Amino acid sequence: MPIKLDSLSHTYQEGSPFQATALHDVDLTIEDHDLLALIGHTGSGKSTLAQHLNGLLKPTSGRVLLDGQDINDKSTDRRALRFAVGLVFQYPEHQLFEETVRKDIGFGPRNMGLEEGEIDARVREAMDKTGLPYDEIAEKSPFELSGGQMRRVALAGVLAMRPRILVLDEPTAGLDPRARDFLLEDIRRLHKGGTSVVMISHSMDDVASLATRVAVLEKGRLVMQGSPGEIFSRVEELGRMGLDVPQASKLRHLLFDAGIELPECYRLEELADSLADYLKGGAEHAG
Amino acid sequence: MLGDITLGQYYPVQSPVHRMDPRVKILLTVAFIVCVFLVGSPLGYVPVALYVALCSRAAGLPLKMMLRSLRPLRILLIFTFVLNLFFGAGSTEIFRLGFVRVTQEGLYNAIHFSLRLIFLVMGSSIMTLTTPPVTLTDGLESLVSPLKAIRFPAHEMAMMMTIALRFIPTLAEEADKIMKAQSARGADFTSGTLRQRAKALIPLLVPLFVSAFRRAGDLAMAMESRCYRGGEGRTKLHVLRAGRRDLIAALSMAGLFAVVLLMARYV
Repeated sequence: MPIKLDSLSHTYQEGSPFQATALHDVDLTIEDHDLLALIGHTGSGKSTLAQHLNGLLKPTSGRVLLDGQDINDKSTDRRALRFAVGLVFQYPEHQLFEETVRKDIGFGPRNMGLEEGEIDARVREAMDKTGLPYDEIAEKSPFELSGGQMRRVALAGVLAMRPRILVLDEPTAGLDPRARDFLLEDIRRLHKGGTSVVMISHSMDDVASLATRVAVLEKGRLVMQGSPGEIFSRVEELGRMGLDVPQASKLRHLLFDAGIELPECYRLEELADSLADYLKGGAEHAG
Repeated sequence: MLGDITLGQYYPVQSPVHRMDPRVKILLTVAFIVCVFLVGSPLGYVPVALYVALCSRAAGLPLKMMLRSLRPLRILLIFTFVLNLFFGAGSTEIFRLGFVRVTQEGLYNAIHFSLRLIFLVMGSSIMTLTTPPVTLTDGLESLVSPLKAIRFPAHEMAMMMTIALRFIPTLAEEADKIMKAQSARGADFTSGTLRQRAKALIPLLVPLFVSAFRRAGDLAMAMESRCYRGGEGRTKLHVLRAGRRDLIAALSMAGLFAVVLLMARYV
C-alpha cells in the first residue's frame, strides 16, 4: 500500500498576516516495506508532512495518494484512513487519558467499533509488540508509569489499530538511552513484520541504524532522497543545512585523519567490526 | 482546527498608534466611550465615524479588520435594531401592520442605538487591535497601581493576567495537538448527539488538564529559581513612557469631545 505525495504544498493561515508556507511542491513516494526517515532542521516541515499522510491536514495544493486513491477525495472513508495510517505524534505520552493502560490502548480499536473480545486481543498483541508486560501493567493507571513506558503505551495505542503504515514523529525525543534503544528495537521489529514506517528524527544515529531510505527537507522543500549511504556521504551539504552525520561517519573521518582507512559505514557496530578486523590484520602484519 | 486562535485580536503592523503608551490608549478608549454616549442624534455620529476612520487609518488597520470586530456582535445588533424599530414608544406612526407598528421615534432610536453600539465596539477594538495583550496588562497594572495604597494587589493581578494570557495560545496549541492525536486514533469530535460529543471531549480534556498542571508546576519552579518575590521593588524591562504621539492623540480626542458637545447642543 504505497503512499504517494504529488506536488504537495501547505500554507498555514493563508491570507492572514501570519501566513506561512510549510511545504512547497513535495513529491515523495513511500513504498511498501520502506522504513523512510524524514530528516531536516527544526521548522523544515517534517511534522506538517507527517500530518498529511493520514489526512489530519489538507494540502493547500497537490494530492496525497494512498494506493492511487486521493485521500482528500470526498469518497474516501476518513476514519478507515486513520486506522490504515497510524500516526504517533511527538511526545505521544501527553495524549494518554484513560484510567488504565488497557483502556487507553483499547481506545483506537473501540473507535473502530470492534467487539470487546477482539479489542482485548489487540491490546495484548500491541503490548506484546512494544514489550509491555500485560499482566503487570494492563490494569495500572498510565500516569503511574515511567516516561519510557508511557511512550510505549502511546505507541501501542496506535499499533492496536493494526495500521499498515506507521508514521512516527520523533519517537525517541526526550527518552533516556536505554528506553531509546528499546523503542528503536520495537520499530525495527515492526518493520521486519511488514509494516511500512515513516520516521521523523533528529538523531542521525537512529536514522543510520534503522532507515532503508532517507528524505531530507529544508524550508519546506524536499532537497535530497536516497539510501542512508547516499545521503550521509553528502556531509558538507548536510552541514550547510545544519544537519549532522552519524557518529560512525565522524569517527571514521577521525580515524582516516589518523591514518587508519576503513570502508564506508554508518553504524557504530559496523565500524567497530571493521576496526577490529583492521587491528587484527595489523597485528598479523606486525607478527 | 484551533490553530487560528489569535489571542485578543492584535494586528501586527508598525504604526504610530501601535507605538503609543498603552496607558494613554486605555484612558483615551474610556474617553471615547464616554464621548459616544454624549452623542445626541444620529447626525452626531458623523464626527465620531470620521474620528474612527482617522484612527484606523493612522493605525494601518484595513477596513476588513475593523468590520470583523463587529462580527461577534451581529445578533445583538439585529436585536437592538429590531426591538427599537417595532416596539419603540412614540406616536408618529410611519405604518402599522396588525399589532406591529413602526413609529418615527422608533426608527430614530433604532438607528441611534445601533450606531452607538457599532462605534463603541469599533472604537475600543482599535485599542485591542493595536496593543498586544501583555502590553495592555502592563498599562492596566500601571493605571491601577495607585490602588496599592488601599492594599489592592495590582502587581499580582497583572501577573496573573499576563500568565493566563501567555498560556492561552500555548494551551490552544496543545489542545489542537491532542485533538489531532486522538483523531489519529479514530476519535470523533464533530458528530453524534450532545451527550456523545460531551463524552468525546474526555480524551481531550484529561490530557489538557494534566499538561496545564505540569506547565504550572514548571513555571512556578522557574519563577522561584529566578528569585521571584512579587512586585515589591521590581523594576521593568520596558518602562512605559508617554511621548509626543500620545499628546497628539489626547489632543485629537479633546477635539472630538468639543465637536460632539457642540453638536449635541446646537444641531
